[in-house]
Amino acid sequence: MTTEQTPISTTSSLITDLVHRFNEPAWLRERREAAFAKYEEMPTPKLEKTDLRRRSFDIGPFASLTAGGSARVRALLDSLKDKAFVFIRDGVAVQSNIPDTIHQQGVVLSSLHAAVSSHGSLVEKHLGSVVTAEESKWAALNAAFWNDGAFLYVPRNVKLEETVTFVYESSAQGHGAAVRSLLVAEEGAECAYTEVFLTDGELESGKVHADVLEVVAGARASVKIAASTEYRKGPTNFTIRRAKLASDAKVDWVYCDIGDGFTVGLLESDLVGTGSTSTLSGIGIGFGRQHFELTASMLHRGRYSESDISMHGAIRERANSIYRTSTHIFRHAAGAGSEQRDRMLMLDGTARADAIPMLLIDENDVQRCGHAASVGRLDENQLYYLQSRGIPEKQARRMIIWGYLEPTLEAFPDEVVREFVRQHIDEELV
Amino acid sequence: MTEKVNFTFGQERLVTRMASPVFQIRDLHVKVENKEIVRGLSLEIKGGEIHAIMGPNGTGKSTLASALMGHPAYEITGGSVTLDGENVLEMSVDERARAGMFLAMQYPAEVSGVSNANFLRTALNSRLGEGNEVPVLKFHRQLQQKMKELNIDPTFAERYLNEGFSGGEKKRNEILQMAMLNPRLAILDEIDSGLDIDALRIVADAVNSLRSPEIGFLIITHYQRLLQHIVPDHVHVMMQGRIVRSGGRELAEKLEQNGYDWLKQELGIEDETVGAEA
Repeated sequence: MTTEQTPISTTSSLITDLVHRFNEPAWLRERREAAFAKYEEMPTPKLEKTDLRRRSFDIGPFASLTAGGSARVRALLDSLKDKAFVFIRDGVAVQSNIPDTIHQQGVVLSSLHAAVSSHGSLVEKHLGSVVTAEESKWAALNAAFWNDGAFLYVPRNVKLEETVTFVYESSAQGHGAAVRSLLVAEEGAECAYTEVFLTDGELESGKVHADVLEVVAGARASVKIAASTEYRKGPTNFTIRRAKLASDAKVDWVYCDIGDGFTVGLLESDLVGTGSTSTLSGIGIGFGRQHFELTASMLHRGRYSESDISMHGAIRERANSIYRTSTHIFRHAAGAGSEQRDRMLMLDGTARADAIPMLLIDENDVQRCGHAASVGRLDENQLYYLQSRGIPEKQARRMIIWGYLEPTLEAFPDEVVREFVRQHIDEELV
Repeated sequence: MTEKVNFTFGQERLVTRMASPVFQIRDLHVKVENKEIVRGLSLEIKGGEIHAIMGPNGTGKSTLASALMGHPAYEITGGSVTLDGENVLEMSVDERARAGMFLAMQYPAEVSGVSNANFLRTALNSRLGEGNEVPVLKFHRQLQQKMKELNIDPTFAERYLNEGFSGGEKKRNEILQMAMLNPRLAILDEIDSGLDIDALRIVADAVNSLRSPEIGFLIITHYQRLLQHIVPDHVHVMMQGRIVRSGGRELAEKLEQNGYDWLKQELGIEDETVGAEA
């Protein structure tokens, strides 16, 4: 393991390292190299609400194995021990528990690298089909340098009862290991997937953490995805999580970030198929000097496609959060319907919040399209009411904030992760 | 449904009451948004007594109630308020509640995501203090019983606090909280508004069953109707931010029959609302 910093201009050698370390096939090497070329020719993106000019795009060198994991991640894995999980630290799969029963009925669950070896043609077919290397500089970065991540394949009409959990931990030794995950639910398949991103100690500034999750939902497939992140200060975090839905497919997202990081994130459902539906519920707890720009987006291409977005932010200290909720109803997506709710709660006067609703409607025949956005403080009357029954102010504040967040948290499909997130939020609600 | 409601508290009482309370208001002045609304009000309520404050709209009745409970929008500019000799005005809102004060509000807040049951249990435990928390099962048994007595749908326990409740349901929920928390001084601010006659009787029965030397009541109302069901010991008329006439229950009856005009004439008041004389 080298500790010297490698500038990004020489990182084509990072690809060679990855190819050798994982004995990657030629198709993957070619894709990585093509993505790197894209990355190099793309300018630094210009964002309306986020200044990227002074952010470095440096990544690597990648570690082979940094440590077994923090005490915190150990405790989480311990409570997950009877469930299907994979633990990846700094891009390296460290530990997993995959019950044999999972693989009955043709389900494939492994790290992405393992799947490249064992189910190469499946991965080759779907990898990059939802998030392409061409779409943004950081998508290209991830496609060129991804280390490892989840692979879940659920065959036609198979219902996976068990929630699958991938746990990631980043440390300063990882130098920005990039996570890439791929979920494929074939026609009529059902599954629930949870990912938990943790950080161990302070991360290097000047590095990029670029995460991508691709979800392919076949016709009538039903997929629940929960993601819990804690993007912390130091690096620049770019994240893209997107699902592509065929006819009558259903994808339910629940997302929670708790952190003080510099983050640009996209959560998106591409509702391609007729009658496809998607819901997205999100919580954001920001503190410190967080800069968090999150876009929750629904692309309605299919007729009668429906979506629902509900975001809840609670920010304190000098955090600056921008929550964009975006609905795009394309021409010919007749009968599409969508609703967005975006609420931001500012717990301190120094916090800044933007709730930006966006509706792009190119079709006349739309059944519903509503939006509500608000930025506000804790309701004094609610506080007074709870206090008037003897509940001390601090506790009353917590109850109100929890009341605001609880319904979203309930959407986490796995109770272990749900309780883990609940406790983490509770610690951060000062 | 007009079935007779039978309130039994008996052994299930969760908050142990102490000796008979004394609540004193002396020359109280209250400002809202820089305007003096309560202008020198004095009143003493002892345990076992029911005091009613009547008066037309805009005379400062609800301001008095909110100020006594400590609502942050109300500024006390003079006078004193004590419960058993303790200075209430120095207490925070929650300290007042834990000292035994309760205000059934005219417009209770709605709190999404907080269930009625969770809220009440937290409130009760705050009142009981650390180490004396009520066991969960005992709490729920008590809650279900009280809800039945108040003719409240049992599913309300798990519904979010006042969210989507009708006006009448909110009022009954206030009375439910009062019955669970067993206050020493209960202020009911226009608990009768928005209640039909059956609900009014249920609420009145609940108040009557709580009546004891260990609790004093201050009932604020526009109408004598409520006072047919809850018979007060003392009736006070409020105009221009102070009590202008006090009497027994017959005063309420006289007001019901004759309105307020005779009293205004006697007192030489043309407009009874606060600030109108200025």
